[in-house]
Amino acid sequence: MKSAKCHSLRKGRKEENMSQVSASEKAKLSDSKFEASTLKAAAKKNALIKSLTEPAALIGVVIILCVVFSLINARFYGIVNIRTILEQAAIPLILAVGSTLVILIGSIDLSIEGVMGASAMSFVLLTANTRNPHDHGDVAVLAGIATGAVFGFASGYILTKFKVPSFVVTLGMWFVGQGFATMLYGDTATPYMTNSRVSGWSPRLTFGLPNAFWAALIVVVLGFLLLNFTKLGRSAMAIGNNESIAKTTGLNIDRVKISIFTFAGALTGIAGIIGAIQLGSGSPDVGKGSLFVSVPAVVIGGTALAGGRGGVLRTILGVFLLTILNDGLIVAGVSANYQSGVAGLILIAAIIFALWSRRDKLGVAK
Amino acid sequence: MSLFKATEKNGVTTGASALSLRNIKITFGDLVAVDNVSFDIQEREVVGLIGENGAGKSTLLKILAGVYKPDSGTIELSGEAKKFKGPQDSLDAGIGIVHQEQSLFTNLSIAENLEFVSGGSSKSGTIFKPFNWVKANKNAALALGKVGSKLDPRTRVGDLSFIDRQMVEIAKAMKVSTAKVSNPIIILDEPTSLLEVHETEALEREIAKIKDLGSVIFVSHRLDEVMRVCDRIIVLRDGKLVAIKDRDDVNQQELFQLMMGHEKKSQPRSYQRKHQGDTPKVELREVGKKGEFRGVNLKLVAGEITAIIGTNGSGREDLCKAIYGVKSFDTGTMLIDGKEINHWNVQRAIESGFGLVPAERKVEGLIGGLSAADNISLIFNDDVKNGFLINPKKNLAIAKEWFEELDIRPRAPQKELEKFSGGNQQKAVLAKWLKSKELSVLILDHPLRGLDPGAAETVNSLIRKAAAEDTAVLLLGDTMEEVLDIADQISVMKDGEVTGSFDLHVDHPSTLDLLEKMV
Repeated sequence: MKSAKCHSLRKGRKEENMSQVSASEKAKLSDSKFEASTLKAAAKKNALIKSLTEPAALIGVVIILCVVFSLINARFYGIVNIRTILEQAAIPLILAVGSTLVILIGSIDLSIEGVMGASAMSFVLLTANTRNPHDHGDVAVLAGIATGAVFGFASGYILTKFKVPSFVVTLGMWFVGQGFATMLYGDTATPYMTNSRVSGWSPRLTFGLPNAFWAALIVVVLGFLLLNFTKLGRSAMAIGNNESIAKTTGLNIDRVKISIFTFAGALTGIAGIIGAIQLGSGSPDVGKGSLFVSVPAVVIGGTALAGGRGGVLRTILGVFLLTILNDGLIVAGVSANYQSGVAGLILIAAIIFALWSRRDKLGVAK
Repeated sequence: MSLFKATEKNGVTTGASALSLRNIKITFGDLVAVDNVSFDIQEREVVGLIGENGAGKSTLLKILAGVYKPDSGTIELSGEAKKFKGPQDSLDAGIGIVHQEQSLFTNLSIAENLEFVSGGSSKSGTIFKPFNWVKANKNAALALGKVGSKLDPRTRVGDLSFIDRQMVEIAKAMKVSTAKVSNPIIILDEPTSLLEVHETEALEREIAKIKDLGSVIFVSHRLDEVMRVCDRIIVLRDGKLVAIKDRDDVNQQELFQLMMGHEKKSQPRSYQRKHQGDTPKVELREVGKKGEFRGVNLKLVAGEITAIIGTNGSGREDLCKAIYGVKSFDTGTMLIDGKEINHWNVQRAIESGFGLVPAERKVEGLIGGLSAADNISLIFNDDVKNGFLINPKKNLAIAKEWFEELDIRPRAPQKELEKFSGGNQQKAVLAKWLKSKELSVLILDHPLRGLDPGAAETVNSLIRKAAAEDTAVLLLGDTMEEVLDIADQISVMKDGEVTGSFDLHVDHPSTLDLLEKMV
């Protein structure tokens, strides 16, 4: 009995030894494989480099469009037209930075147009205007931005505390903003800005470029820094990637979402103010059509609507693609009747081209 | 043999145990999930925790993680009694868990993932501070170094292999658990259920490394691994502790018996091969696809189970997908019933009686929002239709029959399939194909992945049954033991080529014979 047990034990040992030999051999083999793959991953996949080189095709499309439009009409690359493009791009840029952040956390902000109207009206009625004796200067600007921020905060708060999808909350907030703007607008005469320093601000040049573009540039830089170099920005990316992991990791999801919505709202406020300045008067409809420039610009830039993937810089490309397309068709002398149809076709073609190299990886198109 | 035998390793005898559980008991309603469990774990010891699904492993882990509070019993860490009010208490006490489901943000770098767990962000205001990349990268490199990983902290987690991600998970758990204490207890909850063979070994070496820093509780389904990695093995069954064994005092067979309470049935190949000389159902001649596999010859015969084994990157998954028509072949020919076929795709495969049980059950195998009944009748639904429309009553009735037939539990075909346990999900996915009268080729991509031994055995018997009904089965197995048990033929693939073929009615290869061809 005892010897039998010994025997089986010894046999067990022997088998174990054998498997150990083969295991260590295999370990050597897989070790070399393992390290090679690790090194490759490290060399190839530095996150920042990747994010900068991936939109190369999109940059190509923008350049091709510029070349084509320049060949059709040399006026396209004249300094006057370039300034026009930059000024036109200002509002979509500012809005798209906000939308990028909101989309990165997996939400969407549809309230842009209404909130722009509300901010624009708040601003116009507090700066020098034909409706009332107010002339509060910079305070008017702050009031416009704050109006946007409050709407953004409200959207974020309702979204997180009442668990209402952002699609619905912000759709509602669009009309609340629109309503607020309409209320301020009332039914007396349109409030025009009376201070020409204010109403002429947008196209006025500083260091050779329009003021509105400088404002947009500052917003882009702010958005970029916020996304990449603050805890808030990185948390936003984390939440967009996987909210349930974010929860178990201990991230304060509500705080991040509300902050992002508030920031985006403030940017919408800035866009509303610039819209009013460009218009020279207050109007609830100052933001009309903005939503369907800013959100597509974000998506064209390659930020995923599902959240967690994308960035601010690539959104710039999306904005410029759309702005250049609009301006170029006018400069190229395409009849106004055909413009929007042609713009749509070129846009689709451009995106097919830009995504060509990635179409295998995308797999599913929804 | 005493249950609380103090282990002496390398001549070091420790005083108080790193962790000791005393009479832990927890009940949910009538169910006693953990019943009077006591054990000790020493510093620098790897302890295996095994048991079937439902044996109480996960409940016990949740108690250790501070998620559940035990009804009675005490937890002591280094001799100090602890009461966890929540998960944070457990973390602070130095218990770190690497969960089965990965918990990393794939779109962020390793450094960011590790930085987020420092736990500061939940306190007010701190999200409004700059993210210090330099510090994050440095800290991450340190944390990775601790577990012996040389990964670049700037690498995006989504670009890492599964095993590398597992390393990051371990580094993360280490970081959390060593924040306040120096001798952490790291719990690895089935870390290897999704790993290929060579990856498993890399992980085993990592475990040996973390053992130098603290204690490890290793939960696994794979008994061979448990035997290799652990110093001692704790076996749970029906919420009770049935044994604590030193590795040297036990073998796999005994562990299996302890776990199951009954002996594993081996299936000798006593049956006759009915179709051996027939034209193969599917024949591949020198097929290849650039960068994936090349020169593959394979025959699938009706009534036989053909298994392909190989490590990750051997090309066997790609080969399966090509046979099913998801991908195409670049070279070579594929014959069905002796006839060469062109323009192969999934629709034609299904029309020809092909079925696929994919590896990523949750991603490819089942439709999330649908009930089990709807999932079962997803593809073959002539029997549940009135004209064009699905008849919900018939649908449910037929699903019920399958639930009986395959013993899918609970017997609630109207319930969303997602909410069933893994084994029962897999049975329902199998039912989807088995219900087809035309099923002639069944491709199974890791059908036992993530299943406990009991469920695995049922699924295996279903696979055998399908073969017995003249289906040609192609099986990608998880383990060599699994395919040695069930297959009629085994082909071994390595780096895209078939390196060996065995006919199990003639040859009697051992796992070593197979391994030799794999690496």
